[in-house]
Amino acid sequence: MADSSTDDPALAAEFDILAKRAGLPILAGRRPALLQNYKDLKRMTALMRQPRTAAAEPAGAYSILSVTRSV
Amino acid sequence: MAKALHDVSIAEAGAMLRSGSVTSMALTEHALDRIRSVDPLISSFITVTKESALADAAAADAAFAKGIDKGPMQGIPHALKDIYGTAGIRTTCHSKLLLDNIPKEDSVVAAKFKAQGAVMLGKLATHEFALGGPSFDLPFPPARNPWNPDCIPGGSSSGSGAAVAAGLVRMAMGSDTGGSIRGPAGYCGTIGLKPTYGLVSRRGVFPLSYTLDHCGPLSWTVEDSAIAMEVIAGFDPLDPASADVAVPDFRGKLGKGVQGLRLGLPRGWFVNADGASAETLKAIDDAAQTLAKLGATIEEIELPDYELYNACGRVIMFSEAYAIHEKDFQTRPQDYGLYTYLRMTMGAFVSATDLTQAMRLRRELAQAVNAKLKGCDALITASTLAPAPAFSEADPNSPPNFPIQTMPFDVTGNPAMSIPTGFSASGLPLSMQIVGRAFDEPTVLGIGAAFEAATKLPERRPSFAVAKAA
Repeated sequence: MADSSTDDPALAAEFDILAKRAGLPILAGRRPALLQNYKDLKRMTALMRQPRTAAAEPAGAYSILSVTRSV
Repeated sequence: MAKALHDVSIAEAGAMLRSGSVTSMALTEHALDRIRSVDPLISSFITVTKESALADAAAADAAFAKGIDKGPMQGIPHALKDIYGTAGIRTTCHSKLLLDNIPKEDSVVAAKFKAQGAVMLGKLATHEFALGGPSFDLPFPPARNPWNPDCIPGGSSSGSGAAVAAGLVRMAMGSDTGGSIRGPAGYCGTIGLKPTYGLVSRRGVFPLSYTLDHCGPLSWTVEDSAIAMEVIAGFDPLDPASADVAVPDFRGKLGKGVQGLRLGLPRGWFVNADGASAETLKAIDDAAQTLAKLGATIEEIELPDYELYNACGRVIMFSEAYAIHEKDFQTRPQDYGLYTYLRMTMGAFVSATDLTQAMRLRRELAQAVNAKLKGCDALITASTLAPAPAFSEADPNSPPNFPIQTMPFDVTGNPAMSIPTGFSASGLPLSMQIVGRAFDEPTVLGIGAAFEAATKLPERRPSFAVAKAA
């Protein structure tokens, strides 16, 4: 697997800052794979940012009655 | 020819126990013998509780002799995924971090089976903390697929799927956060039922993701999953997610057929999905035709893009899982297996805004599924998108994402059951899902039972020929 830190330094810098903020030690040898997974996470969080209606808000999102009988 | 004892279903064994034609001790000793001879090929058990199982069997036989009948699981051997807390019995989550964890109390599910006089044979392999696997860097080997031990059994309820398919137990409990019951069921050719969120207590089961975790059974027949649900479903005021609703009659629609039912088919989700095999797609289309011949109406429907469900579920799962493990990740990350470490660490990088967006999206996605279920009695869709891959197909440096479409119904909470649809040319099981309205497990089970009766797929068991030839 390619070390993403070499082809996307901005992403790698962002990753390092967030890891430090989380108090997360990055184990030796695991950074390239973590960076790949971080890229995929960024893809997913971008995908979720679409226009939503006012009804799409988290209140009651974990209430079984509102989630599964929401319509 | 009479069935081998391990091919007898829970329903059939229950009748035999009550007629006196078999004892719980005979069922238990047969199962223990089969575990001894077969499990070395598939590594489905982490812990076999032989002594307590034999004691449970003796107690069940004594109860039958006195005319005491506590219910359909009395005297029936079963097993639990090793994330279910069991009093006095090691519960490891397949992890170095919990190698010495011996709970003082049973999980609610374990207690319910115990109260009914069921026989617990032991604890089953899982992906580490129900997330990281299949891995070879953990304290126990990964479970293997009984149809071909070179292949994965799916996960994370890997031991549960393998043990049921191999005929070591008729039913095993799994858990499902992104597909961890239905994936192994699909790859191993078993039934796997993820119940409605809130229908089965999760108390005492090690959490992966609070708002996505579901407890449910894997079994060889649809009826046996219905029987397990009769035992484990019900309101638990000490489980914050538990739903205070009437428990349905899980066997109420078995044998009633599918005549007149309207079934939605979100074909757009899977027909062009990456990694979908032609055999899987054909088997789903054939299954739809079978259900149509039985009297159901099949209607193609559109749902939001599958990737939205997947992204929503994964962002929530990573966040909640990391919150549970945060301290250990900060202080002893080296003790996690590589796949667990790589997956769970992502939770540290999800922002509060990301999580809020995921929760907003979750509501919208649940509404979309439930709107379709107003016009349909149930949905049928893909489960695993291809036969079980080989262990050798997994990149040892990065966790695999084998093609499977189970996440949507963890996001929405609807009941969803994986059921076999046939076999690939290579002899591996194929599968689909049947999805119902909230708390309408009886319809899901009824459709499954009708399909099962029409296809007779449970008559085919793994031969272990591949493993024995190796």
